[in-house]
Amino acid sequence: MIHTTSYDPDITAIRPGIERLTAMNAKAFKDEIISLIDAGSTQLIVDFKDITFVDSSGLGALVGILKKIGNRGDLALAGLNSDVVRMFQICRMDRVFTSYPDVASAVQTMSERP
Amino acid sequence: MTGPQIFRMTNRLDDVDAMVVELTTAIDDKLAMDTRFRFEICLSEALTNLVKHAKTSDADAPIELHLTTENDTVIIDLFDPVGAQPFDLRTKAPDLDQVDLLAESGRGLGLIVQCADSVDYGPVNGKNRLSLTFTNAA
Repeated sequence: MIHTTSYDPDITAIRPGIERLTAMNAKAFKDEIISLIDAGSTQLIVDFKDITFVDSSGLGALVGILKKIGNRGDLALAGLNSDVVRMFQICRMDRVFTSYPDVASAVQTMSERP
Repeated sequence: MTGPQIFRMTNRLDDVDAMVVELTTAIDDKLAMDTRFRFEICLSEALTNLVKHAKTSDADAPIELHLTTENDTVIIDLFDPVGAQPFDLRTKAPDLDQVDLLAESGRGLGLIVQCADSVDYGPVNGKNRLSLTFTNAA
């Protein structure tokens, strides 16, 4: 499902490869990213450019990924459309996740951190 | 008001997204963008909840949906599959402000109550019906 692109230093951008992140695919999405984390990738950016819709199960999967990373790394989101932003706001998830306009902005900010 | 358009969905999680997209497309020219967004969220959450949690005596019983449009209002009625135990989500929906920010589940019912303009539930013609109404802001 997911496709990854690596950036220095140790940042991985993930394209989910789906248009809708919902109960139908949320567990598979989460499991694939947790496999990446288990393999050592802990600076992650999920690229939402192609995702048009997220339901509560999709949000839950993102929270699960964030908890899996814990304090070992970071999870950023990029390219959220207005409906997805609204969903995050309604569920107060905008307080939990950091988002960027696009992957390039996220990579730049994350790579500048000490 | 014309009669409702009737849709049927198999009681399977894999079929929820396709039904949500079909119905959201059907009301695309009836609702403003914000209202359409709320409709899509509520329908997705309600169907997912039905498929995952309705305890039916017949696993193959379909879920029937009635779509009614009138001026700036859309009503979607979801009929529980035959044999399902009644479940009034209004009695279980959490206030989204009270949900643990790091909870991985438990937001779906709260989303429905918060995003629909009205939520009704009860028996209609021998079936249990969840009725969700959406109206464009004036």
